[in-house]
Formats: sequence, structure tokens, C-alpha cells
Amino acid sequence: MKEIPVPVSLLEAEAAETSPRRLRRESFTGLGLLTPAIVIVILFSLAPLAYLVLVSFTRESTFFFNNPVYTGGNYRTIVNRYMPHVWTTIRLATLASIVNLVFGFPFAYILARKISYRELVRTLMVFPLVGPLYLAFGLYYVLLPNGPGAPILEFLGINATSLLFSEPMTIFGMALFTFPFMVMNVVAALANVDPTLEEAASTLGAESWQTFTRVVFPLSWPGILAGFLMCFGWNLGVYVVPILLGSTPQQRVLSLTLQQKAMSQFDYGLAAAMGVVLMVLAFSVTWISLRFSRGALGA
Amino acid sequence: MSGSRPIDLPAGVTIPEGAGGSSSWKTVRTVLQHAYIWIWLVIFVIPFLATLVYSFESPKGGYSLEAYDFVKGAFLENLVYSLELTLMAIIGNLLISIPAAYAIVRHNVPGKRLILSTLNVSLYAPAAVMGLSLLITYAYLLDFMPLTHSTWGLLAAYVVGTFPLMLLPIIVALRDMPMVYQEAAHTLGASRAQSLFRIELPLLGPGIGAGILMTFVIVFNEFLVTLFIAGPENQTAALRVYGLTRTAGFSQSTAAAAATMQLVSFVVVLVFFKLVGSRYLKGTYFA
Repeated sequence: MKEIPVPVSLLEAEAAETSPRRLRRESFTGLGLLTPAIVIVILFSLAPLAYLVLVSFTRESTFFFNNPVYTGGNYRTIVNRYMPHVWTTIRLATLASIVNLVFGFPFAYILARKISYRELVRTLMVFPLVGPLYLAFGLYYVLLPNGPGAPILEFLGINATSLLFSEPMTIFGMALFTFPFMVMNVVAALANVDPTLEEAASTLGAESWQTFTRVVFPLSWPGILAGFLMCFGWNLGVYVVPILLGSTPQQRVLSLTLQQKAMSQFDYGLAAAMGVVLMVLAFSVTWISLRFSRGALGA
Repeated sequence: MSGSRPIDLPAGVTIPEGAGGSSSWKTVRTVLQHAYIWIWLVIFVIPFLATLVYSFESPKGGYSLEAYDFVKGAFLENLVYSLELTLMAIIGNLLISIPAAYAIVRHNVPGKRLILSTLNVSLYAPAAVMGLSLLITYAYLLDFMPLTHSTWGLLAAYVVGTFPLMLLPIIVALRDMPMVYQEAAHTLGASRAQSLFRIELPLLGPGIGAGILMTFVIVFNEFLVTLFIAGPENQTAALRVYGLTRTAGFSQSTAAAAATMQLVSFVVVLVFFKLVGSRYLKGTYFA
């Protein structure tokens, strides 16, 4: 909080305001103003998620009939049969976030320090943000045998058709969607590093890699880590990219599997259990990430 | 700074040779840096451009606007429905976020941090998890409300999932706004409502605009939560595009619909940047 100098008369008024009764009324009004938000969140976020946990302990769709059968069987099924799906989800999210880190950091660094057309970059970066559905769809077309990407890739010695429905392409599609999140986080982190420190290091004879490892990285790593975890968290929920750009091994992700279990096989118990696993993964990653970004949301 | 003019150094002081690298290497490096940025800029737009070009291709060869007959025809209904829903979600988010932001910035609420992180829960939950939990909740837990397969159900899901994105920029704008304006208005005899509508809300304008922008882009393009809770009667445009990629495959009309969705979103963002700039999006979804 920035300290603003206040005239003495106002300070006196503030002293009067901090009387216990005044404070109690203050917090009462505050809670009143928060009521709509809290009600909506309880009804449509907390209660549904708690309900999901409850349903995850019932067999198939018995919960929705008169005699729910409570069992831990869904979690046993996940451990016995669906661990590959859990690992695929984590693997794809990890690899996509690594791609984001490796390519996103230099991008963010150049963006923050070297170029002047930031508005243009920011504007064009909106396209990936609009959504993974259109991204995956567009990339699919680019890679079709008669699509526009084929000649370019052929020229580079890559067979375009071998890329379509492959793991690298799935990861690239996921990474492209989260690329702006990475860039945004690193740019914010670099804003905390005074450029004069880098100039000083270079004037004192440090090579650029030394400036990076000894000055830039130590000062910006919390933001970089927050960006990595944010990408990871988003990619854990991946759904449409493996459908359009991957094949069976990539489509074994939790979001997709739970959707099929729930909506085609009506096995709500198992679907809910998968949802709970995914939720626990996503929330723990977010929690760690918010630790490092110093509470990006209003804290 | 790319040290074109050396600083006036006191006599006898010299900068070690080669501290910044030789000048030709510097030029190469600068070119490479710009090239790197441009390669990514091209990659950002290529999926959209490819979709757009494909949507103009006629199956009989050559180019035509045939595929856009679908957008103007059957798809228009979904598009209008999506725009209506988005507008309602924006209004809902405003009604919830503005009071909440005031409570958080200006009032002494116990457990503020806990409340704030609780409000963000559905922002961090994966969309498929939100979709499934709302599906079963609408059908059983809240079955006394008309939520299953209804506009209200969709609206509630969008509002709970996006209002934190509205709340954050308003909190930031409210923190930037000194209390003195409010106090001056009060001293000069303005009522609380007058001060709110004539002084405070206009000053919060850019922050509110940022929230509107984020709500628009996300709600307008949301398809995954929608997939779980929408019925056959309320298909949003984004869900229709998803459905088309599954059923119609890669047809020109699918491409035309996808290109239209992206174009609408992009134009809205562009108009926002022109009107408000990106200052209030700092530290949020876009900048």
C-alpha cells in the first residue's frame, strides 16, 4: 500500500473512525456488499464441487436413484486402470509448459528489453488466447497433406502428415494456447529487475550468459516459476487439443475421459472421481503458483 | 540501452574493450532478436489465417463466399444467442463485482484473504470439472431451480467462472483512486449515489472496461463447460463450432464459423485497446 500524506484534520477523523462500533458497522456493510458474490460462489462453485466429491464415492449412477451405494471403488478403479490417464495428463502438461518456458522466456525478455512495438505483439497475442479450439482447428488445417503448411515443412525436411495426430503436435498446440500466460508472467517478473543492473554487469565485463545466470535469473525466478505453474495448471485441463491434433495415446487425458465416462457411459461415480483427481492436481498447482507470484489476485 | 554514444568518462577511466561485444555481432544479435519475435507473431496468426483462407475456398475450386451462407443462415441463431448470453454475463459480473470490489478495498471485512481466494475457486478449477459438477448439481442438488438445459444454468456457470476476472481490474482501479475525490464530493454536499455515479464509476471506467473485455472473450468462446450443461435447445456459437469439428469434420462452413468467432473476438479486443489502452490489463489475462 502506498502511503499518502494526510492533513492532520483527516487523521483525527480517521482516529474517530477506528472506534470499535464504527469498525463493526464497517465490516457489516462490507459483508453486505460481498453477499451477492458469496452466494453465487457457494451455489455454483463450492456446493457443486463438494457434491462432486460426494458423488465420486458412489457406484456408477446409483447416486441418482433412491438407493445410492457408497464405495471407494471408483478411486480403486483409477489406481488400477486409469493411472496411465493421470500420467498422460501430467506428462502432456509438463512438456507443454517446458516448451512455454524454453521459447517463452527469450520472447518475453526481448519483448521487455529490446523492442518498441509492444502494442502490436500484445494485439496479435490475442489470437492464441481466444481459445484452444480454434487454434487446434487452424493447426489441423495447416498440417493437412494439401494444407498451406505442408510445402514449408517439406522444405524443412519434415513430413507434415507425420506431425498431424502426433504427440509433438499435441504438445505444440497446448503450448501455443498457454504461450501468452508464460510471456505475461515473465514480463511482469522482469519489470522487477532494474535494467541498470544488467548494464552494470556487462560494463563490469560479464558475458551475457553470466548476466543471465548471476543477475537476471536470481531476481526473476519466482515470476518465471509462477508462469510455468500457471501454464501447467491450464494444460492439466486440456480437452480439445488432443481430440483434433493427437491420437489415442494423447487422448488418454482426464478431462476427455471423464467427459466420455459421464456423458456416454453414464458412469457418474467414476467420472466424478476423475474430476476430483484433476481438481486436486489443479488446485495444488495453483496454490503453489500463487505463493510465488506474491498473490497475483488482489492480495 | 544500446550505447550508441559513450558516456563522458573522467580522464583516465576507460571501459574495458569488448565489454558489450563487437558492433557487428551486436547487429546480428539485434536482427536475430527481432526475427525471433516475428516468427512467433506469424505462428500466433497462422491458425486463424489458415482457417480464414480455407473458409473462402470453394469445393469446386477457386474462391467463393459460399461457406458464409451458413454463418448468415443456420449459425446466425447460435451467434446471436451467444452474444445475448455474453451480454447477460457481463451485466451479472458487473452487479456482483463492483460491490465486492468496494467491500474488499474500502471496508474492513474479516477474513478478506480467505474470502478472496474462495471467490476464485471456479476460475482455477479445470473446465471439465466445473462442467461435470454443475451438470450433476443442476440435475439433482438444485433441481428446484430451472437450471438444467436452460439459459439461466449457462449464465450462472459463466458468471461464477468469470467474475473474478472482472473483480481484479476493478480492485486495482479502486486502489489507484484516492479517497479524496469521494471525500470532496461528500464535503460539497453530494449524496452517496451522486458521488458513486458521477465521480467514482467514471473514474473506475478503464478497470471496469478491462473486466468487460475479459468476460467477453472468455464467455463468447467458452464451449467445454457448455458442452456439459447445455441442452439441444440452447447451443452457443462456440459449442456449435466444437460440434461441427466433431460431426461435419473439416468443412468450409466449419472454417467460416470458426473464423467468424475469432474475428468478432479480435475486433472487440482491438476496439478496447483503441478506446482504453492496455494499462488496466496489467497483471491480468491480457498484458
